[in-house]
Parts: sequence; C-alpha cells; structure tokens
Amino acid sequence: MSAILDLVLGVVTSIGGFVEVGSISTSAQAGSEFGFQLLWAIAAATLMLAMFVEMSGRLAAVGKQTIAAAVRERFGIHYQVIPLVAELLIDVLLLTAEIGGVAIAVKLLTGIGFQWWIVPVGLSIWLILWFSGFAAVEHGIGLLGLVTLAFVASAWKLGPDASDVGKGFIPTMADHDMLRYAFLAVSIVGATVSPYLLNFYSSGTVEEKMTEDQLWVNRTTAYLGTGFGSIVAMGVLVTSAMVLQPRSIIVDSYEQAALMFIPAFGRWAVGLFAACLGIGCLGAALEITLNSGYLLGQVLGWQWGANKPRREEARFTAAFTFILLMALAIGLIGFDPLKLTMICVALTVVAMPFVVLPFLVLMNDKRYLKQHTSGPIGNGLLAALTITAALLAIVVVPLEILGG
Amino acid sequence: MAARLGLIHDVLDKEVVDRHGREMGRADSIVIALRPKRQPQVTAIEIGPAVLAYRVQPIFGRLMSALEHALGIDEGRPLRIPFGDVLGISTHVKVDRAYGETVAAALEQRLRAWVGSLPGSS
Repeated sequence: MSAILDLVLGVVTSIGGFVEVGSISTSAQAGSEFGFQLLWAIAAATLMLAMFVEMSGRLAAVGKQTIAAAVRERFGIHYQVIPLVAELLIDVLLLTAEIGGVAIAVKLLTGIGFQWWIVPVGLSIWLILWFSGFAAVEHGIGLLGLVTLAFVASAWKLGPDASDVGKGFIPTMADHDMLRYAFLAVSIVGATVSPYLLNFYSSGTVEEKMTEDQLWVNRTTAYLGTGFGSIVAMGVLVTSAMVLQPRSIIVDSYEQAALMFIPAFGRWAVGLFAACLGIGCLGAALEITLNSGYLLGQVLGWQWGANKPRREEARFTAAFTFILLMALAIGLIGFDPLKLTMICVALTVVAMPFVVLPFLVLMNDKRYLKQHTSGPIGNGLLAALTITAALLAIVVVPLEILGG
Repeated sequence: MAARLGLIHDVLDKEVVDRHGREMGRADSIVIALRPKRQPQVTAIEIGPAVLAYRVQPIFGRLMSALEHALGIDEGRPLRIPFGDVLGISTHVKVDRAYGETVAAALEQRLRAWVGSLPGSS
C-alpha cells in the first residue's frame, strides 16, 4: 500500500513539477514560431529524460549511491571536475532564471517591477528549505504544480485538429528559418534533460530510502511521471501555436507568453498564467538550490540531506545558501530572465555529454547495480543517447549564434 | 580487507567513514613512501579540500590552502590517517577515528556554531 502511495505521489509530483522556466519558454517559442511542428522534440526529449531518470533512481535504490557520488568514486576527481563545475555554473544561472520567473509571476499579479521581487523570492526559497524536509518540498510543490495542467486544459478548450497535432510528432523539415527551428529543437532537449534533475532524483531516492524491491516504483514513476508531465509542456506548445502564431506574436518575454491564455480563460488568463509560471519556477528553484548542496556534499563526502536538522549538516546548509546568494547577486545586477534561460539551456546541452557518458560505465558496474545492470538493449539505447548528446553539444553553440 | 587491493580502484576517492559510520570526507589522496632500495610503501590516506584541489591543479591546491589559512582552520590539515588505522574497505573506507575529534571536522564545527544560532536549525 505504501509503495502504491509512493508511486501515485511520485507520478503526480512529476506532472506538477515538469514545467519551469526552460520548458515554458522553449515550448512557447516553438509553438508561436513553428506551430505544432516541434512536438516531436518534446516527445524525444521526454523519452531521453525518462531513461536517465530511471537509471539515476536504479543506481540510487540498488547501489545506495547518487550519480555525483558514484562518478567521483568510479571516475575520480580529474573527470568529475568538468561536470561538477559545469553543473554548478548551470545551477547558479538557472536558479537566477527561475527566481526571475517567480518574480515575473508576482509582477503579473501586482504590477510592481520584477526586480523588486528578486530578494523576497530568494528569501522565501531559503525559508522553505530551512524549515522543510525533502518530502514537503518535493510533494508539496509538486501538488501545487498541478495548476500547470491549465496549459493542457487551455489546449483542450481551443480544440486543435487531432491530425495536425499528430503530424507534429513526426520530425519534418521547417518550411522557413531552418536554423531557428533546429536551435529550438536542441533547446527543448536542453530544457528538458537538465543535469540537476538527474542528481536531484537520485538524491531523493537515497533520502526516501527506496530499496531494490521498489525498482518497479522507480521505473513506473520515471516513465509515467515524465510522460504525463511532458503533456503539460505539449499543452504550452499547442496553446501557443493556436493563439500566438496566427496573430504573428513572437514570444520574447514572459509577459507576452501570458497572452496565450486569454482565448481559453478570459479575465482569469493573466492570473492563471502567473500561478503556473510562479509555482513551476518556485518548484524548480527549490530543487536546484537543494541540488547544489547535494552535489557538493556528495562529491566532497560530507553528511548531506534535507531530512536532517540544518545544524547537523552545517556545510550542506552553507553550500546551498551560498549558491542561492550567488544567484540573487546575479539577479540584482540585472538580467533578462528569458535570455538567461536560453543561455542556460544551451550550456546544459554543451555539458550534457560529460553528464551522460558516466551512465554507460556505471549502469554496467555490478558493484553498484548487482544483477540490475543494463542489458544489451538498454546499453544500445544509452550509447545512442550518448552519441546524440555529443552531436547536440557540438551544434548548439553555432545554432545559438545563428538561430538563437 | 580485500586480499588484493587496487589503490586507485578501491581506495582513492572513496567515502571515508569513522568507527561509528559517520561520513568524514573522501580519500582525497594516498601517501606512498619511497624508500631507497626497498619496495614503495603505502603509508596513509589524506582527507582535505586542499589536497583534492592540488590533484586537479597545484595552483588550486595552493589557493585552497590559503583559504583554509584565512579561515583559521588550516592547523593539522589535511587530515592524514595511517593505513594501519584502516578498519575495512567495502563500499567505503572505515577508519579507526572519531570524526568530531579530527581536523576534518574543523569547518563543520565552525559553520555549526553559526547555523546553530539561527532559529529552527535543530
């Protein structure tokens, strides 16, 4: 019964926690510029994410190791320093962007400039983490995040033609601006397969003390949770395609993206969009902040965990507080949240090969996985994903310059 | 302890726990004594961010040492544990020490005083 409850909670919170600043911005831009044509990119990125999430959880449940800890042990510090520095840099920048997303949501509700909300939002994040354990953060914000199903409701109300939507799942060449199309396709992958998600998930699996017997819960949560979660991102794309594209509105700010809710929700549109953006970004900001503490604690061998009193893990607490302060400092200097998001997404793609390559080795190491190592099909898929990640990393910077 | 031990594979970078199972850090370095006309001898493991940073690039190691000095936690660091005090090697390296009594805990104890002074920390 407890396993079923864990499964339901895991799937529900995955749905509620799927969209954040990266997925909203890339999906909204994709829809407003290319209609339904990039739905396949969301589906492909979701499949990639689900596979990596499942592997991260399996490693944690069987080997009692998180990704970061296992990479330090198996590959040593000379390799790990690359993904570690990259991930910390991305964490800080993405955290700034997520804080910006929450601040814009509050601005949409109050009319007061988003810069004024940066510090209060940062303080709220710190207070939530100070007083809450892992389950409260993960499940509480995930349940609140179900408000993002408004994107699915909006797409449903707009009544898109099913065959047109279906065609979007078949990769095709764009009929205009091919570089921009390719850039958005790669960006959707970068926004979906964030490194912080993988280490956060494996850390959560260790925190929640998942065992080998519950691997089916891990597998189902990974595939069903991310699968259903991606429907929300698809809802953003479909709504944007049906509302913004016919009016030739290009999404170059979150305020503009809020317009997509008007046909479906009328006078509630801005408030509802603000709730979706604010809660989605707040959830991601909490996860990124915690993950930065997890990452440093696991690499350096400290005691870590959100479920223990903060005093007992002073270095872990100090680490996530420091990362949050750095993000706030960048936020206070001044930035465009949408542009920063797109930079983070590109950086994520550049770092991706260094993050995914260790999976090929770790998932075949019986010291960690015992009899649960990957089979030939899993290894084949993983090799294909690693090659794909390397190719995307090569093309993303030229695409960012030419099509971003 | 394993009859055949791979120092890099089985010890270096592995988590080190004290005799009570509490995390102390990772085996950031291994000390090997080179003796004339005799076999090299593994003498100790070291724990500390400065030796870890030194492994990445010596200049980072010097910077980390300077930072530890500035924070006033450099005395006795890095922590050097003789190999004879290793109690066992499995998923982690267990050593015959109590974490709180070693210099590895210096930063944790310093931060704990600050963190512990805030409401809701315990």
